[in-house]
Formats: sequence, structure tokens, C-alpha cells
Amino acid sequence: MIVVKNLCKNYGTKKAVNNVNFCISKGEIVSLLGPNGAGKTTLMRLLTGYIEPTSGEVRIFDKDIKAERLACLQKIGYVPESGFLYNDMTVAEFLHYTAQIRGLTAEEFSKNLKQIVENLELKTVINQKIETLSKGFKRRTGIAAALLHNPEILILDEPTEGLDPNQKFSLRNYLKNYGKDKIIIISTHIMEEVEAMSDRVILLNHGKLVKDTSPEELKELFPEHNIETAFYKITSEAE
Amino acid sequence: MTKQLAVIFKKETLSFFEGVQAWVVLSVYILASMFTTFFVGGFFSINNTGLFSFFYFQPYIMAFLIPAVTMRLWAEERKNGTLEFLLTQPIPLSSIIIGKFLAAWFLCLCMLLLTAPLWIYMNVYFETDNLNIFSGYLACLLLSGSFCAVGCFISSFCSSPAVSYLWGLIITLFLSVHNFSGVVKALHLPLTLENKLSNIVNLNSHFYDIISGQISLDNILFFVLLTLISLSLNMASIEFKKN
Repeated sequence: MIVVKNLCKNYGTKKAVNNVNFCISKGEIVSLLGPNGAGKTTLMRLLTGYIEPTSGEVRIFDKDIKAERLACLQKIGYVPESGFLYNDMTVAEFLHYTAQIRGLTAEEFSKNLKQIVENLELKTVINQKIETLSKGFKRRTGIAAALLHNPEILILDEPTEGLDPNQKFSLRNYLKNYGKDKIIIISTHIMEEVEAMSDRVILLNHGKLVKDTSPEELKELFPEHNIETAFYKITSEAE
Repeated sequence: MTKQLAVIFKKETLSFFEGVQAWVVLSVYILASMFTTFFVGGFFSINNTGLFSFFYFQPYIMAFLIPAVTMRLWAEERKNGTLEFLLTQPIPLSSIIIGKFLAAWFLCLCMLLLTAPLWIYMNVYFETDNLNIFSGYLACLLLSGSFCAVGCFISSFCSSPAVSYLWGLIITLFLSVHNFSGVVKALHLPLTLENKLSNIVNLNSHFYDIISGQISLDNILFFVLLTLISLSLNMASIEFKKN
């Protein structure tokens, strides 16, 4: 379970995240929505303990991420927005390096690797240097690294960016299945993804949480009955 | 923690040797060291039982080369965006810092090992003071450790390896050539205290004391403290930058 209480993060005078509160339980797939600069990436970084909040707290399965960061990170798999892969490594080397850092045993690694490589269709590029991969394969390599330790919480920043429609479809299905007994938080701009995958939408604007609801309820808020319009109207109203 | 530290050490060491970086540094080091030993230091013309002509130039050679070893350790992680990946793994920041530092220091150890034939050559053909030579190598090891730590710290606040090299070069060269006497004088301390402080902060005097055989606690402590302070600053810089 993730509990976020009165969370604030300021950069100078700018309030990147402003008094955000929510709670996410196991089995929920949550989409983080918001226009550019709304604070989605900052919120994700706060959830992973990468940055420290100005005030407020984040609790991961009852542990304060500030006080017990390493224990919390054992339960989290995180895929940042872009460019976090070691280009001079092959996919296999990168995944092996990640497993070693995470302290996985050789058996755990080979068992999980086989399954993930199959599910994310990485078999053809497993011995290829990351710098030579297409954007889609790079994205999937990042997701594979985040999934290696079978995390309870998966945090993904724009996971389907750069994927072709077939890859998007299979990744969504995979994540939907994975999220049945885990927590998945996805930051996205793609509204069809929200509808296809999420149980819940957290809408941010100017660092504030402006809506916390289900995709269905979000659609019903306005007569047009679509998420894009709801997104536009809520974020423009707040301005 | 030790296991994860070893993973970082191995990864950094491999990336030194898989690329050209380690080979260039090792080649330049051996060429520069041999040139200064034989052609500038007067290898055959001075009393060289302690290999003084070799050790004398080490601070300057290392000031040029060690920033090239450390320049990419943090700067490249920041430039490529892999820092966020690394810092969101369940690994203490101290393990990453020490792992990277040890990898750089290991390369310096390799540099020094390359000069071992010179020590053997001395023993075969000349009368040598092996204890003195040993203290010279110890001084080089301590000096290279301190410069590696300084280089790691500098790399931690730079976004480009080239900038990191330039700043590293400026700082390590400054430490090598400056005796800080002007700075100490400006404090207007009593003469005895001024002399004492001048000796304490002077890297060269500690280095040359050790290569001349004075392996005293204050000389060793100077390099150990410089290393520890730089690594602490490295940690503070990473924490500060990400927030």
C-alpha cells in the first residue's frame, strides 16, 4: 500500500508538488495524468525517494521512504521517462547488472529473466548493444529491468512512448495482468491507455491533485463523455 | 553492502578497460614517468638509491592523469540520465561512491605496477635502498587515492566529462604546486603556529617527506583526511544536486 500525506516539493518559489494526498492499495492500476509541468515526474521521484519532499510523507507498505529508503526500494520497480540505460552494455549485461545491484541470486535472475524476456519479446535483441536498439526496444529493456525482482510496486513514466501499436497492445495486456495483485502507477499523456488499463486516475495540475477518480467517472463528468475533454476542461478550469 | 560495492567496482573497472580510457591513461603515464625519470630527473647523475628521480615528478604527472580517470565516473551518469536509475536502486549511496572511487584507485595501482620493472632494474644493476623505494610507492598510492577522491567529487557536480577533467586538472595541479603559504600568512597567526599550519596544509611537503622515508602519522593522515573529506563532499554534492 502507498500512502501519500500532505506531500509538498518546492523548487525555490515554485511548488512542483503542492499538498498532495492519496492512498493506493494492492491490485490498483493508477494513471497519473496532467499537462506538462503538472508535477507528475516530481511526484514519481518522490514516491521512489529519489528526491526528498519539502514537507509531508510517503509511506510504502507502512514504511517511511525517507527513513527506510532502501527497504522501500526493494519493493519498487521504477522506469524513468528516458535515457537511463547504459548504452555501452548489451541488454543481457544491463539486466544482469541490475539484478546484481538488487542482490538477486543467480537462480532468481535466470528464472525471472527467462519469463520477462519472453513476455516483453526481448529475445531477438538480448545480446545486442543498447545503443543500437530502437526506441521501443529500449523502453522494453527498461521495463524488463524494473520487473526483474518482481516488485510489489511498479512506477512507469510514459511506458508506451516509442512503441508501435502492436507492442503497445501487448505491453498493456501484460501490465494489466501483472497489476492484478500489485500496484502499478503510470504517468501518461495517452488517454486511450488510461481507459484501456487504469482502475483509477489521479489528475494533477500545477502540482495540485485536482481529481482522484475512476476513468469511467471522469468521462461522465462532462456531457461529451470522453476523457480528453474532461482532462482539458478540468486542467483549464484550474488555471 | 559489500556485495553491491563490488558490483559497482567491477562495472566501473570493466568499463575503464573495455574502452580506450584505461589504455590511454596507462600508456601516457608510463611514457611521462620514464621520460621525467631519465631525461628530466637526472636518473644517472644524482644519488638515486631511493628512485628519487622517479618519485619527484609523480604529483605533477598524477595531477594531469587522474582527472582523466575520474572525469566520467559521475559526470557521464548525469549526462546520460543513468544517475536516476542508479539512485533508485536499493543500494546505499556510500556503496556507489566507494565502489567508483576504488575502481579509479585500482587503475592508479595498475599505473604504479607498470613501473615495477624499474624497481627490479635498480636492484639488479645498482645499489638500492628498498625501504626508501617502498615508502616512495606508498606516497604515490596515498597521493593517487587523494587525487581520485578529489576527481570523483569534481565529477559529481559536472554534467560533462570534459568539464570535469578541466576542473579536476585545475584543482589537482593547484594542490600539487601551491604550498598555501600565502593563505596561511593572510591569517596573521603567531609565527610558530603559522609555520606549523603551513606544513599541515602543504601537500608537497607531506609527499616529499614520505618519499624521503619519513612515514609519520601526520603525513599519512593528511592524505587519508583529504580522501575522506573529498568523498564526503562527493556524497553531499550528489544529494544536493538531485534535490
